[in-house]
Amino acid sequence: MTTNGNGNAAVALEVNEIHKTFGTHEVLKGISLTAHDHDVVAILGSSGSGKSTFLRCINLLETPTSGEVRVKGEQIRMTIRRGEPAPADMKQVDRIRSKLAMVFQQFNLWQHMTILDNVVAGQVHVLGRDKHEATAKAEEMLKKVGVSDKVGHYPSQLSGGQQQRVAIARALAMDPEVMLFDEPTSALDPELVNEVLKVMRGLAEEGRTMLVVTHEMGFAREAANRLMFLHQGLVEDEGDPREVMKNPNSERFRQFLTGSLK
Amino acid sequence: MAHVTEYLPLLLAGLRTTLLLAISTMVVGLILGMLLALAKLSKSPWLSRPAYAFTNFMRGIPEFLVLLLIYFGGTQVLNGMLPEGGFEVSPFGAGLAALSVIFGAYASETFRAAFQSVPKGQIEAGRAYGFSTWKTFRYIQIPQIWRVAIPGLGNLWQGSVKDTALVSIVGLDDLMRKAQQASQTTREPFTFFFVASLMFLAITLVSMWIIARLERRASRGFAGAR
Repeated sequence: MTTNGNGNAAVALEVNEIHKTFGTHEVLKGISLTAHDHDVVAILGSSGSGKSTFLRCINLLETPTSGEVRVKGEQIRMTIRRGEPAPADMKQVDRIRSKLAMVFQQFNLWQHMTILDNVVAGQVHVLGRDKHEATAKAEEMLKKVGVSDKVGHYPSQLSGGQQQRVAIARALAMDPEVMLFDEPTSALDPELVNEVLKVMRGLAEEGRTMLVVTHEMGFAREAANRLMFLHQGLVEDEGDPREVMKNPNSERFRQFLTGSLK
Repeated sequence: MAHVTEYLPLLLAGLRTTLLLAISTMVVGLILGMLLALAKLSKSPWLSRPAYAFTNFMRGIPEFLVLLLIYFGGTQVLNGMLPEGGFEVSPFGAGLAALSVIFGAYASETFRAAFQSVPKGQIEAGRAYGFSTWKTFRYIQIPQIWRVAIPGLGNLWQGSVKDTALVSIVGLDDLMRKAQQASQTTREPFTFFFVASLMFLAITLVSMWIIARLERRASRGFAGAR
């Protein structure tokens, strides 16, 4: 994974000129991204750079003010409702969201469900799999992330690192086209970060398509094949992580790397 | 005491009516309370404002007055609308309408607070995985709001069991009225009002036990709540 991307692989996700304004504040000023199958894109930026908002615009947890999102070639259709941009067809959005499994900073496991049910629920209620099949899949995914001994527990009984690994299993069980990680290790105690990063590195190696908003420079350098640096709502730098981290094209990214831009 | 065994079937028939009214009140009240809560949480002021106005009105006037309004006022209004006249609201119907409207008004506040207690991330995770609004409501919000709502709803239930006694005044043959009748004919008011008290107390104790079990069940998975 040293070259820039998988030029020959099919396009998994195409994001075009995303703008997002909150009130009068323009958080995203036109961001585009094309991810091919098996790409691992690290999205870096200081707080307030818009990196999380960008990720949340892709699955429409935030509605972009303008711009296009295509998943596997299918464009999310937008319209204007009461003067505001809005999805034209929520059924389409729900279907596309199920292909863009998200891993949240605060894990957001469903508190009233067991670990197993957390991984089963989306498969059954969204994908329409039968309970038996979904349970088998859930058990397989929980084993993969190393928490298969906790299936009957509730999220509140697990450590943060274990909860985040369950959240990753929940995402994997959906057989997503692209996985969206929103600062997956930022809420974890330092000693728990590595167990989550290890799982994520494993996913990168097996060719999962991932967009990862992160502060983990080591992960960006070693596991990602592309890097995108956002600053004040714009892409300030991008390229192969190792090259661009060694020789930043932009002054801002240089400052960010030396830690002077926090 | 001989009178008690003699009048026991009468009292039990009254108890049955009391329970039937209380349970129907809870069912209708829960549905009404849920609808009112959803209206209050709606972004549209056309839904939320009338819901708040209705709730505040119902909570602001005495239960007894609501009952009289529906029983006597309802008969008057219905007869005014129907040309043939002669229509009468039954005591049970009036009691059910009055008590469930009151139950619903209070329950809507319990539900509203419970909905707001569900962290945003729980709902967002549902939406991000492709759950529709309805599926998020059904599989994520509803199971989580019970934990918060059950203690409050339990109190409302206990209250409406006792409020059924008011309906005896407009002629419902409930436990209260039967106890009154028995005490008048036998001239043993203490005995029969005491027996009626014990029966109300029994309902309360059984309810408390059921509510505690429901609460435990709904709290599974929440830290410090098992």
